[in-house]
Amino acid sequence: MNTPRDSGCTLTGALSVTTEIEGSVTIIHGPAGCAHHNFSLFHALCAGRDDPRLPRVLSTDLAETDIIFGGEDALDAAIRRAAAKNPSLICVLSTCVTGAIGDDVDAICRGYHGIPVISIPTAGFLGGGFHQGHIQALMSLSSLAKDDEKIPSVNLVGEKTLENERDEHFNEVRRLLAAAGIPICTRFVCRTTVGGISRLSRGSCNILRDPSMEEVGRFLEERFGTPFISSFPIGSRGTIRFLEEVGRLFFLDVSGAIADEEARQDRIFREFRSLAGKRITFCDPFGNRTDSEVCREIASAAGLIVHPEGYPVPVPEPFPVGTGGIRRLLYQWRRACRA
Amino acid sequence: MKQIALYGKGGIGKSTTAANLSAALACRGLDVMQIGCDPKRDSTRMLMQGRLIPTVMDLVRERGDSDIAREDIVYEGFMGVRCVEAGGPEPGVGCAGRGIIATFQILERLGALHADVVVYDVLGDVVCGGFAMPMREGYAEEVYLVTSGELMSLYAANNICKAIARLSSRSRSTCRLAGVICNAKNLPREEELVAEFAERIGSFLVLYIPRDQVVQQAELNKKTVVEFAPSSNQAAVYRELASRVMENRRMDIPVPLGIEELESLAYEYSP
Repeated sequence: MNTPRDSGCTLTGALSVTTEIEGSVTIIHGPAGCAHHNFSLFHALCAGRDDPRLPRVLSTDLAETDIIFGGEDALDAAIRRAAAKNPSLICVLSTCVTGAIGDDVDAICRGYHGIPVISIPTAGFLGGGFHQGHIQALMSLSSLAKDDEKIPSVNLVGEKTLENERDEHFNEVRRLLAAAGIPICTRFVCRTTVGGISRLSRGSCNILRDPSMEEVGRFLEERFGTPFISSFPIGSRGTIRFLEEVGRLFFLDVSGAIADEEARQDRIFREFRSLAGKRITFCDPFGNRTDSEVCREIASAAGLIVHPEGYPVPVPEPFPVGTGGIRRLLYQWRRACRA
Repeated sequence: MKQIALYGKGGIGKSTTAANLSAALACRGLDVMQIGCDPKRDSTRMLMQGRLIPTVMDLVRERGDSDIAREDIVYEGFMGVRCVEAGGPEPGVGCAGRGIIATFQILERLGALHADVVVYDVLGDVVCGGFAMPMREGYAEEVYLVTSGELMSLYAANNICKAIARLSSRSRSTCRLAGVICNAKNLPREEELVAEFAERIGSFLVLYIPRDQVVQQAELNKKTVVEFAPSSNQAAVYRELASRVMENRRMDIPVPLGIEELESLAYEYSP
């Protein structure tokens, strides 16, 4: 079975990026339904997070005659309508039908000056699903970045903005980076401004959300010469390795930060010492997870025994990030073990 | 009601053949309707004394599809032949195939599709599903391929056979290949070649239409040959075509040739 990340619609993946850019408007160039589904999804997610904002999404609302005669005029009109609201940025997402009839969305978007208009190809029938839309949006938006001198700082690339725990993940990475003394330049893209994106090339290292973002990592490396770290850290040893890697890239002595982090991890495992000796088995709804190694490492450090007849414990997707993630994971496992 | 569709390579003389066929059918006292299914919109021009009639898609573009009446799109030409042009988007944008589908829907809604004979004149190749619309259930049951003896023209005709074979294999489909019409380029052994091609695909040569100056003269005078030079040999040929089409009972599912077979066939008949 595919995970929801691999399937789904390209359009939704791109929207998970563009709706995170403050002051921007996203135009979905296609029939109204393409916008409606997604608007509802994002609206519900915002409401679930007690975020009262509505996603700023416009539809070109194409009908049959637009398909016959071409939808380019309708797109032009929608861009003007969006521009009248004076947004910081207009993103234009294509859909299946405009892809099929060959509307030249790029050319229309290039015809505007003043407010930046970015075309993101997202016709779902071309394949790739949600994840490809996420990647495509980031690569298209990188054209907003100016060529700047690097300053010692990192960008966070490809945060999964629809994750429930995205703020926990971000806060954990920020804490680790602060411990190593490294500032964050741009979150590319999560709660980001157009100004933030334009400063993207100043970041001297990109930290990818996870290895599925390597295509973007390589693209930005080629474009701006920025090296990347493949993933937010997971697990106890992974978190220490992350600090080491950051230290190496920035020529910093991070031994103090590492000692502190190891002490923090020890405290967490002590906090869950009631788990020692329990038998557990991993529940992995999607199968073949690459993070099962990390699960074993954490189980072993907590004195748990992995056994087919053990208490079934969840392997959350996405996997909790950093040392803080270990505490959240063990908390879930303790509940599953009724300990 | 008899519904026939003419398909063939662009520039092969489909519209000339269709218009003269419609004119000859009308001269037999039949109620005829010709529907041009090509954004180039010039199928019915000779029946309309050179006039380019407003197309269905022109009207949809100007006023939307709900505000169109039958008299806005159906025009009476030579001998009462009722002419319709589907039209389409500007070249290079949109989707012309969808325009054909929309045209058929509008004709249905207006109840405009009725006659003793409806002749559909469809553009060069069946480039997408929209241009196969005239072959779908409820429309043309008889498809005529118009071709010359040139390889490229036979190649296009062979391709169209693929569409006919595909559509006719569907349950409830009544669309069949009725025959091959040779619109000659005056190549040596052309009639033999096209007849052999027609046999090989499982059909037959309906009629050989020779090349004749009078076709160009009639066109310069914005008329069909049947109207412009009724006593000419060429007009007699078109009248013969009309009678063969009315009498024809062949309804075949064609078997398209492979490219090698087609090429070697054309080679056999080359001078």
